[in-house]
Amino acid sequence: MISNSKAPAVAVVTGAAGWLGQNLVRALAGGRERVRCLVHSENEAPLLEIVGPSVETVAGDVCDPAVADRLFEAVGPATVFHAAGVIHPEGRTRELFDVNVGGTQLVLDRARRAGVTRFVHISSNSPFGANPTPTDRFTEDSPYHPYLAYGESKMEAEQLVQQGYDRGDLATVVIRAPWFYGPFQPPRQTRFFSTVRRGMFPIPGPGTNRRSLAYTGNLVDGLLCAEVADAAPGRAYWIADAEPYELREVVQGVRDALEAEGLPVSTRQPHLPAFAGAMAAALDGFLQGRGRYVQALHVLGEIKDTIACDISKARADLGYEPKTSLVSGMRASVRWCLERGESI
Amino acid sequence: MGRSVLVTGGSGYFGEILAGGAVARGDQVRIFDINPPAASVDSVEYVEGDVRDRDAVRAACEGIDVVMHNVAQVPLARDRDLFRSVNVVGTANLLVAAREAGVDKVVHTSSSAVFGIPESNPVTEETPCHPLEAYGRAKLEAEVLCREAVDAGLDVTIVRPRTILGHGRLGIMAVLFEFVADGAPVYVLGGGDNRYQLVHASDLGDACLRAAAREGPSVYNIGATEFGTMRETLQALVDHAGTGSRVRSLPVEPARIAMRALAGLGLAPFAPYHWLLYSESLWFDTTRARTELDWEPKHSNASMVIESYEWFLAHRHELETASRSHHQSPARPGLLRVLKRLP
Repeated sequence: MISNSKAPAVAVVTGAAGWLGQNLVRALAGGRERVRCLVHSENEAPLLEIVGPSVETVAGDVCDPAVADRLFEAVGPATVFHAAGVIHPEGRTRELFDVNVGGTQLVLDRARRAGVTRFVHISSNSPFGANPTPTDRFTEDSPYHPYLAYGESKMEAEQLVQQGYDRGDLATVVIRAPWFYGPFQPPRQTRFFSTVRRGMFPIPGPGTNRRSLAYTGNLVDGLLCAEVADAAPGRAYWIADAEPYELREVVQGVRDALEAEGLPVSTRQPHLPAFAGAMAAALDGFLQGRGRYVQALHVLGEIKDTIACDISKARADLGYEPKTSLVSGMRASVRWCLERGESI
Repeated sequence: MGRSVLVTGGSGYFGEILAGGAVARGDQVRIFDINPPAASVDSVEYVEGDVRDRDAVRAACEGIDVVMHNVAQVPLARDRDLFRSVNVVGTANLLVAAREAGVDKVVHTSSSAVFGIPESNPVTEETPCHPLEAYGRAKLEAEVLCREAVDAGLDVTIVRPRTILGHGRLGIMAVLFEFVADGAPVYVLGGGDNRYQLVHASDLGDACLRAAAREGPSVYNIGATEFGTMRETLQALVDHAGTGSRVRSLPVEPARIAMRALAGLGLAPFAPYHWLLYSESLWFDTTRARTELDWEPKHSNASMVIESYEWFLAHRHELETASRSHHQSPARPGLLRVLKRLP
């Protein structure tokens, strides 16, 4: 854990009941006087408050101004970690813009009025699409090239955050994280594990395309670095594991983790012709052009791409150093599932 | 000096016994339940409320030293959303409220359903949990919350009972007792030679109260010391009843499929837990409870089945009208009545 002697006593976390939020709140709870959490439903509130007496919850929609007012009531100098966002909308792409753009605008505004000292915004690889060549890695100088509706919504959100900084409203930092793995994973990640375990996860082509992944613990470390680093305000950083992995290495890492935790794994590995991924991507693009969203198509369409990033700048400016690598992080994820009786 | 004890679910079958045990020890008892307790005891305070209502739970914990947490949707409820909102979120509500109120000790009643079908027996407190159905998973998730509350400084002890019996405990047992009383055959799956452990409600209540008096978080598996196979337990009952009822075998897999189908159609009162576990061995090693809590169960499988049966006979006619919790009301046999008529 990063020690943050310079960090303010109060933290505000949006998306606190989400995959990243659950991990972040647990890292913050012990060291802060108050961790004010925005959760989506009332049912999520006690499940977070149980973490410790510093955890306070506000339940509601991040797009609702009255909810945002309550979230920032009597907050004062604090760090905001804005992790609320929609990745896979239900059926229609409109929700991506409402929440990822509209919600960010609202939280930025309330944070500024509340006198927040730093605003750490969690972004994604999607505003940058896929790397143009198999060996390329995104850096902080890479141009925007958003991938479909999610990518556009996260790009617009980044631009809003940057405007806030440029106006002198807020000390903002944008953290760009690729595909997560780690405890508190959503059902879709558990399904990913199950399909790998049963030998049913299809790899398009040879599976040598490279993907950066971010273990949630590493990402939390990165966020805590960004909270206090002097060089950070007004900038954006890539945070991920030390090096990108080939897609086939990721799948093998899941297999190794499952086996190490005592779960037998099928040796079968189906491959899809490379054009299947391209077809899925084309169909996904066509449907999203009409405001429709189908998660399976989206995932299949993206899995063929190289989406790799370079974390050198985060290392240099933030002092970020990823501590966990693929198999140990995946093992922690598998254990988390097993502790809760989830079947993989 | 008596402590102030909150019994959540205190109007349910086991909660009532637990509340009675606490009163007998000289504790000040408050019951929190959606239903009022059947027998109103002057010294017992009743607070009506739903464990899903955070404010109600907070108010109930006010001024309390010890919480005995028994609210749960039992397997018979067969409602995934209720398992989650009551057993998981409700437990979180309770744990947060207990911490805020400065409660000294929480005893959480869990279930042996967290173990699913164990790979080997006996099952100890260290045996890994692999629940097989929604109820068991929700109870395990509640245990995870208890451990998180311990990490945050609350003293929580988890008690996992085997199948609870005792006078007044009915639910699915009512079907069995009705068959025996009417001289119809009762069924085991396969040979019925799976070792199946029960626990008497009063022995369990004793273990919970002892756990409440012991400082520091722990986990205890609780079951009878004297128990045998499913067939031996039922044989002891039919021998006692002397109604001509006999123990018969049904082939395991077809019977499971039939139980599942009848339940799915709403024609028989089974939950997944029943068809998965009825023919499996599951028994606890209770060494930890006996050494750390100085606890010793007084009832064997056979004695408690017989006691429950006698209670059923004495109250059979009143049961038709009463409206109470799942475990206090008799389950309706539904289409199982057909089995009674088989030659």
